[in-house]
Amino acid sequence: MKLEGEYLFDGPRDKVWDLVRDPNVLVKVLPGTQSMTLVGENVYEGKMNVRIGPVAGVFAGRLVVSDEVPPESCTLSVKGRGAPGFINGVGQVQLVDQGDGATLLKYQGDLQIGGKLAGVGQRLMDSVSKSMIRQGLASLNRSLHAPPADQPAAPAAQPAPSAGAAPSETAFAAAVARDVVKDVADDIFAPEYRTAWMAAAVAIVGMVIGFWLGRMSSAD
Amino acid sequence: MTERYVGQRITRNEDPRLLTGQALFVDDMDIPGMLHAAFLRSDYAHARINSIDVSAARKRPGVVAVYTAEDLGDYWRPGPLLVPAPHSVENVIFNQRTQVPLVKDKAKYVGEAIAVVFAVSRYVAEDALEDIWVDYEPLAPVVDIERALDSDAPLIHEGLDSNLCAHLAQEKGDYEAACREADLVISRRIAIDRGAAAAMENRGLVANWDDKSQQLTLWDTTQAPIPVRNGLAGMLGLSEHQVRVIAPFVGGGFGPKIMMFLPEEVLLPWASMKLKRPIKWIEDRQENFYATTQERGQVHQAEMALTSDGRILGIKDVFVHDTGAYDPYGMTLPLNTQSHAMGAYDVPNYLTDAKVVFTNKMIVTPVRGAGRPQGIFVAERLLDLAARKLGIDRIEIRKRNFISPDDFPHNHKIIDQAFSPLVLDSGNYRLALEQAAERIGWQEFIGEEQPRLVAEGKHVGIGIASFIETTGIGPYEGARITVEASGKISVATGVGTQGQGHFTSFAQIVADQLGVSVRDVHLVTGDTAAFHWGTGTFASRGAVVAANAIYAAAKTVRAKIFDLASKTLETPKEKLELVDGHVRVADIPDQAITLGELAVLANPMRGAVEPGSEPGLEATDYFGPRYGATASGTHAMILEVDSDTMMVEIKRYVAVEDCGTVLNPLIVDGQIHGGVALGIANSYYEKLVFDEAGQLLNASLADYLIPSALEIPRIEIGHEETLSPLNPLGTKGAGEAGTIPVPALFAQALEDALADYDLEILEMPLSPNRLFELMQEARMERGDA
Repeated sequence: MKLEGEYLFDGPRDKVWDLVRDPNVLVKVLPGTQSMTLVGENVYEGKMNVRIGPVAGVFAGRLVVSDEVPPESCTLSVKGRGAPGFINGVGQVQLVDQGDGATLLKYQGDLQIGGKLAGVGQRLMDSVSKSMIRQGLASLNRSLHAPPADQPAAPAAQPAPSAGAAPSETAFAAAVARDVVKDVADDIFAPEYRTAWMAAAVAIVGMVIGFWLGRMSSAD
Repeated sequence: MTERYVGQRITRNEDPRLLTGQALFVDDMDIPGMLHAAFLRSDYAHARINSIDVSAARKRPGVVAVYTAEDLGDYWRPGPLLVPAPHSVENVIFNQRTQVPLVKDKAKYVGEAIAVVFAVSRYVAEDALEDIWVDYEPLAPVVDIERALDSDAPLIHEGLDSNLCAHLAQEKGDYEAACREADLVISRRIAIDRGAAAAMENRGLVANWDDKSQQLTLWDTTQAPIPVRNGLAGMLGLSEHQVRVIAPFVGGGFGPKIMMFLPEEVLLPWASMKLKRPIKWIEDRQENFYATTQERGQVHQAEMALTSDGRILGIKDVFVHDTGAYDPYGMTLPLNTQSHAMGAYDVPNYLTDAKVVFTNKMIVTPVRGAGRPQGIFVAERLLDLAARKLGIDRIEIRKRNFISPDDFPHNHKIIDQAFSPLVLDSGNYRLALEQAAERIGWQEFIGEEQPRLVAEGKHVGIGIASFIETTGIGPYEGARITVEASGKISVATGVGTQGQGHFTSFAQIVADQLGVSVRDVHLVTGDTAAFHWGTGTFASRGAVVAANAIYAAAKTVRAKIFDLASKTLETPKEKLELVDGHVRVADIPDQAITLGELAVLANPMRGAVEPGSEPGLEATDYFGPRYGATASGTHAMILEVDSDTMMVEIKRYVAVEDCGTVLNPLIVDGQIHGGVALGIANSYYEKLVFDEAGQLLNASLADYLIPSALEIPRIEIGHEETLSPLNPLGTKGAGEAGTIPVPALFAQALEDALADYDLEILEMPLSPNRLFELMQEARMERGDA
């Protein structure tokens, strides 16, 4: 699955770069993250609880940041495996100075998903995750100007809608996703923020929503 | 006077138990000390397994055992080939590669079992799966069936130089010569994609080895309990009498439950013996997408040669069939497709060439319809396109090409799935077509209603499609019928039951012969302890093969009853009659004896049984047809397409079926309803979507769309009865007939509804999205995008 998009931050490139390159926020940003440790230069290993509709389990993963050209670009490689399947992804993030105090973030990536995880949501991730990433970046942008106080990570950042409350309308489901992302963001709003992980977080939320939307939009 | 039951709409004997939740299903079994199994399945479509670490899983509290291929020792071996390659034709290529109990070196599809955990509960067992670490080395997979034979395609099986599983070409007449004489040749690429059977009950097993009695009992959702018993006895080194397989009530079979010796069925009995504990495994809904066989993927390059007046001179069909990662079911499916791509028509020249390919996907075995819908789709689609091109009415072109009623038995001169010559035993195809056209109001719709609705801007279309269904193949089934001391009748037969109404339609046959109420006939199916000869429930054969065995046994018991009653009542047999559970002297109703009293007399406690006679009023008999019967029919439908949403509403649906003698119209109608529902699903809803890595993308019922009652229209049913000359009851199968013509019919009705787009529908299943794309493509081709 290909992910591609861009977003305009109304802040200078250096500031945006600092925001997206602080490793300390990782564990707070990712919903369900159990641990995230730096194991080598620009290599992180972690464990994350994932629940997507009926699929749940612990993911063990490794994130590698490479080809780093501060404050312009970097490559992110993610490999995760667990009972629900696997995710392998490579993505490029690029920051373009717009010259007027604004910064354009461009991202593109390729995500491979396998096992049960693929079976319950991958097909819907494309459209849903794009809009979710956009919302995540928007809240990140807000934090450039109004950095909220540092708060402890939310313990219950599980992005699953409660059982038995299957939303049946697109609008409702999208609203749930937005709220989930917003909750996570509000709870842990450090001034620094990591775009790629935020994007991953919203993508996962997107998959949850995708599952619930399945019955409506999967007849293709 | 006892009523005659055969042919009557008798409500089902089994329904009170089913509807009040009193029927036994596999998951109802609960044995003290029972363990629960969970399987670790491959996340990759194609990957070498470098190592598996189960040490952590073994240490988890509550886990009793964890096994990988390595732990199975000599018990690890590929499964049996369930259907051999056809031996009666020359130049067949067949590369046998059957499934393995657990992956040893290389996983070949997503979901292939790698390890199994036995634990005190399913919760613990599933948690322990997370403790297992598999070192995978992902390999490039084969997903697209049209590229499976490319020279650079990754190889799935070692020892083969390509992914070719099988190749079989058959020809009658000379297609190329016919083609040269033709006024019109229609040539198209036709593609049918994969779907699931999606039975309401998933697969399930409970295995219980009793060490003291040295008996293995297996409750199994199988369609073939006797072959499972025989196979397991062989694998486990037990006598067949040490193994009892019970297929209790089963919530739908639809084909995949005839697939035997998948990993779960092989491993549970073995582990139960090893651990000396009962073990349960119930497939969950998601697992069903990865662990149960599927069907239908084929791509055809098909041609039809015709004269200018619409007579078929020949058909040529070159196709690729997807067998998935293994081929335990031999060539049944492509043979069925070959047998049906001539449709219901007199095709003098036919060339059919099937290549079966391995892919990195779930194993393919029959799903209700079993290769036949694909064949009928090819024949009907080509004929429809020819009719359009030649300006001939769709009904008329069918009439011109039907096999004539006086041309039966009709020998198609190729072999069928039983490797017998494809001989259509009987039929009168025109009758069903005319009845269907009449019932749906073909003329009125085309002449009046459709023009009026089109003028209102509506997209409404009508379709009509004919089909045949080869059914009721051998080799045989059997039954034992006993008159009990209570006067009630017990019947045991080997076929399993998955909702077909066997407890009623079989009872009707017996009740008629033995003069009892249909409610007093108690049937046991699918328990090898009750009857252990037989094959199974598949190929629409229950009402042909098992029913005729029951009929034969019932006639023998009837003769025994008259013999004994004649002696007891001291009256010649000709003067006796058998009614209401009594044998009585015809003219003197008071002079009578009950069947129960006769049964007691036939099994005396003292005295001598005469030499040459047998105790009891009991008989066992068998039936095996020379070759299969052929059912047929015509379906018609009117649908409307919403051109904003592309949703389709079926306004009318008519199914006219000829399954020979109708034993119970209520049951046959139910079969047709279910079959048509699957056909509609295969046309517009159910499609398994795989990505290029071989990952299944819609493995849940939220994504894999099963039509609900809202999508299935009221189905109006008509019957024709052309009796099969191949069996005494004159029956033909009805189990799969409902499904077979639907995709072809759906496509034709859609084309008619969207006539202004000049669409050609050459693929199934469709969806609103895909239909929209096809309409856009058609619009672009016309240049008015």
